[in-house]
Amino acid sequence: MREFVSVAMKTVRVKKGWRFKINGTPSPEIENRLEVKHVAATPSKIPFIKPRLLARSGDQVKIGSPLFEDKKNPGIKFLSPGSGKVVAVNYGPRRVIEEIIIALDADESCETFETVDAKTLSRLDRKTLILKLMAGGVWPFIRQLPYREIANPKLKPASILVSLDSADPFQPSPEVCYNNQRSFFDMGVQALRKLAERVTIIQSAKNRSIDWLNQLVTHQVLGDYPANDPGVVLYHTRQSPADNHAWYINGQDLLLIGEFLSTGLYPIQRVISFSDGTIENSKHIKTRLGIKLNELYSSHENMDHLRWIVGGVLSGYTSHADGFLGMYETSVMVIEEAQKSEFFGFARPGSDKLSNSRTVLSALSSAPLKVNSDMHGEERPCINCGYCAKICPVDILPQFTYKSIYADEIEEALAHGLLDCVECGLCSFVCPSKIELSELLIDAKHMYRREINQGA
Amino acid sequence: MLKHIEIYLRSFFDKNRHHFVDGGKYKKLASIFEAVETIFFIPAIRTKNAPFVRDGLDLKRFMSIVLLALVPPLVFGIYNTGYHSLQAGGGNLTFFNVFLNGLMTVLPLIVVSYAVGFFWEILFSVIRKHPISEGFLVTGLLFPMTLPPTVPLWQVAVGISFGVVIGKEVFGGTGRNIFNPALTGRAFLFFAYPAKMSGGSVWVAIADTASSVVNAVTGATPLAMTALAPSFKNIETMLSSAGYTFLTLFVGNYPGSVGGTSALCCFLGAIILIVTGVASYRIIIGGVAGLLISSFLLSLFPSVSMNPWADINPLYHLVAGGFAFGIVYMATDPVSAPGTDRSKWVYGFCIGMLTVLIRVFNPAYPEGVMMAILFMNLFAPLFDFIAIRMRVSRRIPNV
Repeated sequence: MREFVSVAMKTVRVKKGWRFKINGTPSPEIENRLEVKHVAATPSKIPFIKPRLLARSGDQVKIGSPLFEDKKNPGIKFLSPGSGKVVAVNYGPRRVIEEIIIALDADESCETFETVDAKTLSRLDRKTLILKLMAGGVWPFIRQLPYREIANPKLKPASILVSLDSADPFQPSPEVCYNNQRSFFDMGVQALRKLAERVTIIQSAKNRSIDWLNQLVTHQVLGDYPANDPGVVLYHTRQSPADNHAWYINGQDLLLIGEFLSTGLYPIQRVISFSDGTIENSKHIKTRLGIKLNELYSSHENMDHLRWIVGGVLSGYTSHADGFLGMYETSVMVIEEAQKSEFFGFARPGSDKLSNSRTVLSALSSAPLKVNSDMHGEERPCINCGYCAKICPVDILPQFTYKSIYADEIEEALAHGLLDCVECGLCSFVCPSKIELSELLIDAKHMYRREINQGA
Repeated sequence: MLKHIEIYLRSFFDKNRHHFVDGGKYKKLASIFEAVETIFFIPAIRTKNAPFVRDGLDLKRFMSIVLLALVPPLVFGIYNTGYHSLQAGGGNLTFFNVFLNGLMTVLPLIVVSYAVGFFWEILFSVIRKHPISEGFLVTGLLFPMTLPPTVPLWQVAVGISFGVVIGKEVFGGTGRNIFNPALTGRAFLFFAYPAKMSGGSVWVAIADTASSVVNAVTGATPLAMTALAPSFKNIETMLSSAGYTFLTLFVGNYPGSVGGTSALCCFLGAIILIVTGVASYRIIIGGVAGLLISSFLLSLFPSVSMNPWADINPLYHLVAGGFAFGIVYMATDPVSAPGTDRSKWVYGFCIGMLTVLIRVFNPAYPEGVMMAILFMNLFAPLFDFIAIRMRVSRRIPNV
């Protein structure tokens, strides 16, 4: 096979990170799971928005009817991923809207939007395009670094980064997602070029099976998780502080934008990867936005002892069998809950223990291991072992940064690179004192964001 | 068998837990209950925040690896103590007998160190309502291994008390201490009771069969010997004429502190620590480099060659005295060492260099490594501060 390498393609080497050693990597096999009874929108999983409902319980909605909008930015609308009746609006603690559930009709109808072809798109001005994407409900797929909120349409970023895949093998693989999707992808990229001068397309150097896609890639990435994260690539490629203002989008979401522009319909399908730790069940599933998790997987046993994780074991969120897939998430994983205390756990050689350190016997082999949701130890004071700094892909020193956060030295934390944090979770993962480093850094980021927004 | 013990212990802890929770009889002692339980069981705690899967390494395992790495010098130290005690006192030098004799001397030191140290640990944990940290498992063993075998047990108790309370707890406990607690305790004994901590008569213990009181006979350590007799032109000849060849020093079969004589065993321990990644190889290699380079440079200056340690083959510095033990087990204590990679190199190098400087220029304290490490502990935050400032200035800011 001929290797296409575009002239401008750069290679980004990320030395730090973690190579997954977890059982049940999804196979490239793809299964369709499009026939479902319910779908839902999950406003509480969308960062930093204040949702205002536009549909009530009992209303009839079509695919593409507005369900809610952001109070702070009313132009940003979120559309219904299904056609049918709104059967429930579930609230969480402090009246957070957790999910808006729609019972689907037998034959679904769609709202239609004006279609655009490549020629008309090239003539559209930036502002009209943005309004179009906002009205079509696909604008929220474009997000903004460093806080990862929905891109602010009033700003112009230095660049937009598109990450096609992840170094997390439990995320969908590009050969499954992008096969035969070239027209939508091209349309999406063309739209992004209207939004920013620079469009960076990131792919892992290992995933190079689709030729037309390889030609579009501007940066190939060598490295372990989370090397392909847009934040990591930005950190390793930026030239000046101005580059920090960047937007990013997941490659699959870019397909949705392309699809929306080409077809004039609100897109509702996506490929996700599913894993329950076994070979038989772990695969890719073509499904709908907002699917109920137990429609993806149901085992015959009692499922109470299972933990449902949406969006990756290291950086996603915990859900449950009756939960729904969030709009940004592309992976679902089911692992065992921590059940049983371990007798003389510290003295065992650890041939089945997952660890990034070399203190366990399993470090000698690269064989994948079974995992559960156990902390594997209790919280202890930081002993400055430096494991977190050794793995941080953006060279933060979490063991010092979290102490400056505790001491309210936010300036110091920012100087360490707090806002470069890509929220990958590796520092918490490796910490032998079981300190929630990643949580602390993310909270500090969010607090800082709140403060500067209040000041403005 | 093991399964039965596990089930029995599990039900024991589950049955008695209610005494130690809110409203229970012994609520104040909750941290003791927790500490005892977690010796046997790593509790199943579910992850609340991402990441939902966590590394199998915890602090207990981390500290157990250090204990494992301490086994070679400890076993050798017990044998060595017994050997010199029997040799001086006259006795049957079979392996078993020697080992048993050494154990009789060393075990009480360890037991007292652990018992008194844990008393303070528990006291502070109960008052602060903190869990008891595993760090003391290492401190409690490191401390007696740095002592001469003849040290009175009450001094062990006083030393470890000073080390734990002043060296660690007053700073806020594990993870917040500036100095290595075990070395702090040793330094306290060294200056408070010099008669029992240095000189020519403390390094060999012989058991008086009648009263089992530990007595001392003369048997100078190689370092002390060279300090006492600096008129020798060639220290190597002097050492080997006293029976201390390079090989003896390397293997460690000479009178000295309980665990610190054998460079070979410390080397084995260093391999365990470096292979498992528990100790920083940067500190160890930096320290060895600092020692060798500075002693080599010193040997180039003719003016200092009046001092016996100045123009010795640098390798002798490596194997003599407690340097190997100190650099492998004490200097690598992550809490009191710096946390950034570059400063670890500098920190290790400075320890090696200071050890040589103290040995060469201050023969009154032939054992320089203790002071070198404590002194560099003091500098560790400064090294980190400089290293972090350098990193920050190289970074493209993002605010």
